[in-house]
Amino acid sequence: MSIADSLIAFIAVIGTLILAFFVSAWLPGIERRFQARIQQRIGPPISTPGIMAPLKFFFKEVINPNSPMPGLYNVLPIIGLIITISLLMITMPQLYVLAAFTSVIALVGLLKVEEIIYMFMGSLSQSVLSLKMPFPDIVKGAKHPGVRRSFVEELSSMRAFRLIAFGSFPIYIAIFVTVAIAKSIYISDIVSYQQIHGPILFSLAGILGAIVFFIGFMILLNEYPFAILKTKADVIEGPLLEYAAKYRAYVYISRGFLIFVLASIFSTLFLGIPPNILSWTILINIAVTLVFTMIMATVSTFSPIFTFKQFYPLVAGVSMIGILAIIASFL
Amino acid sequence: MDEDNKVTKKQVIETEVPLGTVHSAAIEPYRVRLFVEDEIVKDAEITVGVNHRGVERIMEGLPVEKANSLTEKICGICSNSHIWNSVLVAEKALGIEVPERALYIRIIMEELERLHSHMLYLAHGSEVLGHETFAMRIFYIRETVMELLRMIGGNRVQYGVPIIGGIRPRAELDLMRIQKIKDGMDFVEEKITEFAERFVSDPMVMSRITGVGILKKEDAIRLSATGPTLRATGVDIDLRRDMPEYESFEFNVITQDDGDVKANILVRVLEIPESIKIIRQAIDHLPEGKITNRSWDMEDSPVTNNYIEVPRGKLYHSYSLDDGRVRNVIIRTPSITNIGAMEYACIGYHITDAQLAIVQCDPCFTCTDRAIKIIQI
Amino acid sequence: MSLKSYSRARSVHVMLVYTGGCNGCDIEIVNCIFSPKYDAEQYKIFLTWNPREADVLVVTGPVTKHNEQPLREIYKAIPEPKAVIAAGACALMGGVYKNINGDIPSEEIMGPVDKIIPVDAKVPGCAVRPEDVLAGAVAALPKLLNAK
Ligand code: SF4
Repeated sequence: MSIADSLIAFIAVIGTLILAFFVSAWLPGIERRFQARIQQRIGPPISTPGIMAPLKFFFKEVINPNSPMPGLYNVLPIIGLIITISLLMITMPQLYVLAAFTSVIALVGLLKVEEIIYMFMGSLSQSVLSLKMPFPDIVKGAKHPGVRRSFVEELSSMRAFRLIAFGSFPIYIAIFVTVAIAKSIYISDIVSYQQIHGPILFSLAGILGAIVFFIGFMILLNEYPFAILKTKADVIEGPLLEYAAKYRAYVYISRGFLIFVLASIFSTLFLGIPPNILSWTILINIAVTLVFTMIMATVSTFSPIFTFKQFYPLVAGVSMIGILAIIASFL
Repeated sequence: MDEDNKVTKKQVIETEVPLGTVHSAAIEPYRVRLFVEDEIVKDAEITVGVNHRGVERIMEGLPVEKANSLTEKICGICSNSHIWNSVLVAEKALGIEVPERALYIRIIMEELERLHSHMLYLAHGSEVLGHETFAMRIFYIRETVMELLRMIGGNRVQYGVPIIGGIRPRAELDLMRIQKIKDGMDFVEEKITEFAERFVSDPMVMSRITGVGILKKEDAIRLSATGPTLRATGVDIDLRRDMPEYESFEFNVITQDDGDVKANILVRVLEIPESIKIIRQAIDHLPEGKITNRSWDMEDSPVTNNYIEVPRGKLYHSYSLDDGRVRNVIIRTPSITNIGAMEYACIGYHITDAQLAIVQCDPCFTCTDRAIKIIQI
Repeated sequence: MSLKSYSRARSVHVMLVYTGGCNGCDIEIVNCIFSPKYDAEQYKIFLTWNPREADVLVVTGPVTKHNEQPLREIYKAIPEPKAVIAAGACALMGGVYKNINGDIPSEEIMGPVDKIIPVDAKVPGCAVRPEDVLAGAVAALPKLLNAK
């Protein structure tokens, strides 16, 4: 590859990233607005949740979080953001030269790390809202005075651990549907397979896979009804409780960005359209992102929180559909 | 008691998770310590008293009219019930005749309050379920009732309608107000029916609330639960049937059998049309005449008490009158007798369901925390 | 307007701490933030339950004994810049619980709120009206916007 080529590739990668950031900043706002309209109210302007809120948090005083390791705790959202960025880069066509890194395995690995981060966050946060609340609890006559006491975040940490075990199953199965169809674990092969045979989405296996992917997408984003990590009913915000100022801004940004990235993984794997600013097809990526956001907003406004009682059967059922899809892909 | 994985004497409790006093699911300040094992609640302790302001104590020695309006400040959700009951005690003690029309308007107020309280319960329950949309829909319907209350009483929360011997002149219902109440009731009934149908046909919500927070009939009676919480376990009890005030009204007592969150919600949902029925009857047969009887004299009286049925159950007020001032005030609100049921109902379920099981009993810790010690003077 | 105050004005997170009182104010405020009728989100005001996220602390109730310390802690947990709105007669002057009594006054009330934490805007009413709460939030905004 000549120097000029690599320069163009470099610019394309940076350009795509910037575009992705720009688009993803609007997504939380669109989601919130959509939900508000369903709830028969006006709702916030679409720039507020995704752009103005992080900006505001950047201008707030940086405080020391209540945490055994404040440094590590604060760095975690940045790590999450970096992982999300790498996820996007993996799917970019300019980087397919890095063969081994642009395989589905790398994708799955990075997604896993993304989940593990929540577990760390949960165990490192010690908010004032539960155990630290100054309240005379252990008094004469109190029940079980000698028991180990825990923060609510510990609870979400445990839930994150469980989610690692089974929660992300659907999205992996959906990814492997495409692998099974294209018979290669390299993203470049999956894309070129679709350029020859048409998008995977328009086959039976593809449709089933897409449904499974969408459920996995919502679980990964901890969106209602899968927000057991951060239900308002018990853990308030769970692992994110202690983030303040600019670190909270990172949390906000990476959430919007993750929506975009997961949607663009979908369009790469199921439509054969990788995010690439040099081609008009990037518009399709953006369209897919918007559609995903809106469907997600609709689903989440019409459903309550799922506890594990509903969660297990749902994941099991969705995984069954995924396996069906894999079988269908061999037919 | 063991068979349904509820409390057992000996058990290993792993961890305690304290929630509160500021918490998103509670809103009111209270502390609940949940003892969990693998995210399943094994025991619970609800601490009240965070909110203690000592209303009974400051009532001691106040003129009876002033004391009556102070009882309103016990609770912002069922303020009318408190002032109504307090006024009834005074009327009972002094033997005051109340004009018919005033009685009817009091009933209308009380039932309007029941409507708004039950809707608040539904909205809060939906919030705890994580279903924001249902909460919004209910809040939207509730606004109509709040506007009616504001129209009659002049305030959205504490309306202060009953006074000794009748009702406040401001709360007189003229034709325009009656028409507004009629329209409001039509709107609420239509919307609530729609909502109820939507609610019970939602499979996701139903799977969250059926079989959660089960309270058996015997347990509920043993734990002295009251009001709709008790009715949801299948006990056919409603003080309204036996109150002389409600004698001329026809309504059904709603009961459900399961004692879980679904039964609790259904009892309240189905009570809303019954309340609307009572309001309609009251409006249709509203007697003409005076609204206040001002010809009464203050006398001393021994301790008098009275029970009424309020949105959450049975409310008890008692005091004696001495030189026009109240003494020995005792107030018992329904939520305090429901606390045992709350603690019991959340045992054996996932933590997220435990909050739901507490909320299903419609707790009002503000009512509950009104007095801890009663001072004898 | 600088970007700083522009962004602050366009996204306000409100936290509610309820410190006693009669529940009336509290429900009216949650109602005001929530209900489709008043919908505070259209004015870029969001309800949160996490002090680390909040900009504005709305305090209702007369601050009872057991609520004093939690209130201080929560106030401390909010990162600067922050503003405090005291809503309701109870929060402003202790309400009926502090000021009306028969033979014995109530000893439970530690308030009013401005004895415990600095208050920037006061919303009167018993109970407060949702419109007034929105006005109070607007009154507290300059403090946020002009902060460093
Ligand atoms: S100001 Fe009035 S309505 Fe508000 S909490 Fe106090 S007593 Fe209740």
